[in-house]
Amino acid sequence: MSGAAIPVVLRVPREDRFGAFVYFARRNPRMIIGGALVVMWLFLAAFAPIVAPYDPIKVNVSDALIAPNWTHLLGTDDLGRDVLSRVIWGSRVSLSVGVISVSIGFFVGVSVGLAAGYLGGVFDLLAMRVIDALLAFPALVLAIAITSALGPQIQNAMIAIGIVAIPAYARLTRGQVLAVRAREFIVAARTIGCSPLRIVLRHIFPNVTNALVVQATLATAFAILAEAALSFLGLGPQPPYPSWGQDINYSQRYLANLKWWMSVGPGVAIFTAVFAFNFLGDALRDALDPRLRRSA
Amino acid sequence: MTRYIFRRLLLMIPVAFLVTIGIFVLVRLSPADPVLAFAGEERDPATLAAMREEFGLNQPMPVQYVAWITHLAHGDLGRSFQTKQRVLEAITERLPATAELGLAALLISVTIALVVGIASAIKRNSFVDLAASSVTLAGISFPSFFLGIVLILLFAYVIPGHIFPPGGYVPATENLGDNLRRLVLPAVTLAAGSLAVNLRQVRSSLLDVFGHDYMRTARAKGLRERTVISRHALKNALIPVVTLIGIQIGAIIEGAFITETIFFWPGIGRLAVTAIPSGDYPVVQGVVLVSAFSFMITTLLVDLLYAWLDPRISYETATA
Repeated sequence: MSGAAIPVVLRVPREDRFGAFVYFARRNPRMIIGGALVVMWLFLAAFAPIVAPYDPIKVNVSDALIAPNWTHLLGTDDLGRDVLSRVIWGSRVSLSVGVISVSIGFFVGVSVGLAAGYLGGVFDLLAMRVIDALLAFPALVLAIAITSALGPQIQNAMIAIGIVAIPAYARLTRGQVLAVRAREFIVAARTIGCSPLRIVLRHIFPNVTNALVVQATLATAFAILAEAALSFLGLGPQPPYPSWGQDINYSQRYLANLKWWMSVGPGVAIFTAVFAFNFLGDALRDALDPRLRRSA
Repeated sequence: MTRYIFRRLLLMIPVAFLVTIGIFVLVRLSPADPVLAFAGEERDPATLAAMREEFGLNQPMPVQYVAWITHLAHGDLGRSFQTKQRVLEAITERLPATAELGLAALLISVTIALVVGIASAIKRNSFVDLAASSVTLAGISFPSFFLGIVLILLFAYVIPGHIFPPGGYVPATENLGDNLRRLVLPAVTLAAGSLAVNLRQVRSSLLDVFGHDYMRTARAKGLRERTVISRHALKNALIPVVTLIGIQIGAIIEGAFITETIFFWPGIGRLAVTAIPSGDYPVVQGVVLVSAFSFMITTLLVDLLYAWLDPRISYETATA
């Protein structure tokens, strides 16, 4: 009679963290690439004063229009300002507009969506007509109209892009609330006497956050692109402060002289930042919504 | 169907009303005084007060709104502060240029999306599919104004022969060849953004249709693959694409603001953009209003087209 029990190991647990990371990365390459690019831009924006090799607004005419070289990796503009430093400092504008405008859209849109979905009735009808009216404008046209009315400033660009972002959040939240509202746990919460505010914030909201996280990521990509477009039209931060869209507009006058580096730096910066958030948003959508994993 | 059209038109009324209120409020939010903008060098208080009265700006806001909407109903969008030209006239003068650019962009976008989208769906996971997917993702993230500048740099300056001019517009009635030559770069720039979205939609719609039973039946009947694709798959896959193209009209309108600015294309987008720095609000207001109403009407038309294309859709129970 043997007293020793033989342990049966069905699967080796992935205990080492590096192994787990490699496993996750291989399964979600888009999330890793998108996430890494987002972290890179956030790092550059946060530490711009340390990372940027030169002062982005200091004029140095003797260094004007130098092509990319080891001293100025992305060259200099007509006033001798280092293009790389302006790109790095410009990320502060783009990302801060992205984050703040998306927060405005998120806060207002989600609040309207939660209230409209939960309360229904006249409030729902009126709120959704206002949302329909906002959707009646092409998004960028509305942002241009708002910024041109309020004045060309970075704060106004944030407000404009935030307002444009509201309908997507409101509709998404309302739809999710309508789907969740009739579920048993909401009825149970109502039965035990929870207040409407508590039901909405503690029971409904946590159930709609997945879709909102995805929307926030994709909306940040749109916000960066919209900020660049507004700046390009002269409706964002004003010179000499660096901004990607404004710098591309400024570089247009040197195209005929083939000073291509003045536009390429900020152009690639916009592309990589928008690409990063789009990539991350797509990956998050696939990861958080199992139904989409099977779709093409 | 008639009931559905009627209901959609009825629902458009409150939305249109809210749109006009939105635009009216936006213009009044502006810190700049429209009378000072209109008066130019004139600073005599009596003259300014007279102008304020003439424009009705001394009236309460609701009265001003009613006056504005009444003028609007008569097709009067006011006068430009800068040129003193009627805004409606300025817009209608420039509308053909914008329409030409928009249609060319739509044509490029839809044609390429259909050809490449079908190829990448049929040859799934092939090189064509991989290339199309990469281009799609890049296209969505690529700012149109940067693409425009890259195209100008390449085709107007770098490549020998200066294939296309960097900008400007010549009416087709004056010189058709020159008009088309100047149209290519802005149309491609404007098409790029919507191309990516359309291509993705064509591909995923086709892949979705490929999985249906009627496709297997069509193949089991012994039909040639080409017939199966064109008669059975495409017909069904194109329905969501039509909706998407409708939505792209909005993207084309907003894209026109940027593209027309880069290429000095004298359309309504450029009209608004040049009016912004000078505080010419009637012009901005007029262009935004025309854009919003064009977008609303297009969305409605696309919904109706959707019903015509897909007889399975019953609008008697559909809610707007």
